[in-house]
Amino acid sequence: MATVRNCNLPDDLYYSVENNVWARLEADGTLTVGMTAYACNLAGEVVAFTPKKVGKEIEQNKSVATVESGKWVGPVKAPVTGEIIATNDAVAAKPGTINADPYGAGWLVKMKPSDWAGQSGSLVTGAAIAAAFEAKMNADGFAGC
Amino acid sequence: MQTWRVIDTGIRRAAENFALNRALLEARKNGASPSTLRFLQFKPSALLGYHQSAEQELKLDYCAEHGIDIQRRITGGGALYMDETQFGWELYLHKSDLGSADMTAIARRICEAAARGISSFGVDARFRPRNDIEVGGRKISGTGGAFDGDALLYQGTLLVEFDVEKMLRCLRIPAEKLSDKAIQDARDRVVNLKDLLGYAPPLDEVKGRVQQAFAAEFGVKFEPGGLNETEQKLFREALAQIDTPEWIHLVRKPQSDLPILEAGQKFAGGLLRAAVAYDRVGSRIKQTWFTGDIFVNPRRTVADLEAALKDLALDKLDETVRGFFAGRQVDMLTLTPDDFIAVVKQAVDSGR
Repeated sequence: MATVRNCNLPDDLYYSVENNVWARLEADGTLTVGMTAYACNLAGEVVAFTPKKVGKEIEQNKSVATVESGKWVGPVKAPVTGEIIATNDAVAAKPGTINADPYGAGWLVKMKPSDWAGQSGSLVTGAAIAAAFEAKMNADGFAGC
Repeated sequence: MQTWRVIDTGIRRAAENFALNRALLEARKNGASPSTLRFLQFKPSALLGYHQSAEQELKLDYCAEHGIDIQRRITGGGALYMDETQFGWELYLHKSDLGSADMTAIARRICEAAARGISSFGVDARFRPRNDIEVGGRKISGTGGAFDGDALLYQGTLLVEFDVEKMLRCLRIPAEKLSDKAIQDARDRVVNLKDLLGYAPPLDEVKGRVQQAFAAEFGVKFEPGGLNETEQKLFREALAQIDTPEWIHLVRKPQSDLPILEAGQKFAGGLLRAAVAYDRVGSRIKQTWFTGDIFVNPRRTVADLEAALKDLALDKLDETVRGFFAGRQVDMLTLTPDDFIAVVKQAVDSGR
């Protein structure tokens, strides 16, 4: 588990640092996608969540869902290109779950990546996580989770 | 000193105003726009927050009968009504303009600056968390935002000579909120610049004050400008999507998922009533209206409490109400914070 400025960033996940999202590569080759603990901290309590529809093909860096917190609305962006194969209904009903358990019950969508081998190189994982987020937090002027 | 652009897009239909929201945010994100302050006005329109459903929030028949446009914002927050007696201000910025990515802190900073602009008329305007600007406990401005990548849009309203009754008639609220007394109460909870100053100042002067306050806060100067070609293209594309029933009804939820539940109870300190718009699916209090035969001083306390309870998870009710009263000096005879909690819970329970 990497911890950067007190934000948990599990090192078995893949991160799109720019989009502040994580992806877990499941055994069947699908991805589970969510917001990082850092993204949750910047947003504050999430009060609404609307995912794109199951079956929709989403390009890398395009929106897979929209979240609202403190009257701010913004997109959650796909870490890689793929089809949405599931969305988290429990989180749609209780969006605060995203803040409470961002890497577990607070997952947002599941995707079937169309070119994981080609695109996963743009994500960071393992030992590279800490430095990448340290740089982002520095650029964001972020004190800590 | 950096130069930011100021644009005034005049009185427009809501669809055009929100298509401009999307176009200017996108252009700012792509580096095709400078940081911008925009002033705008609306033809009469009932406006949903991005995640709201028209059926749950608005009286659609009333809006249709009175020629009031219905539109969905790209920003968050609650339903409201806009017409020519108010204006809107918006900032399109990059996070590098702000030195922070903390959304709560950014909203506070922008609202506090806007409040200073209003205060320059010699009134005491202040930011009221989570997203309002008020004068003496009465709301004069509501705000909300949207972000995309490192670009953000933050917008607010400003009441100049607005009658809140027009808003109440568009919104789905308890019927007794439309009684003469309730409308008067609602008028007491908002305030216009005209009420405060005794005259409606020219709009250009008000806009100038807001502009000066943002210039001082961000250490920039403003230069008037228009939309560039990229922005106009993005605007046309956005309008084709937003000026449609599909966009207006993008989020559809049945009224039965958001009932307005009511309860009243006689306490030693008086009769206290609560009406609660309750999100059954998410177990959240969306909005609460307190009325009744109660004495509370300062008077603004009730409006502040209603603001503190907006969009609140039910299981946070107790701590929020107690925390609210713990932080202030309030005289309410023998009425207690727990009485407010009790009557809200009674209302919610009545719908189970």
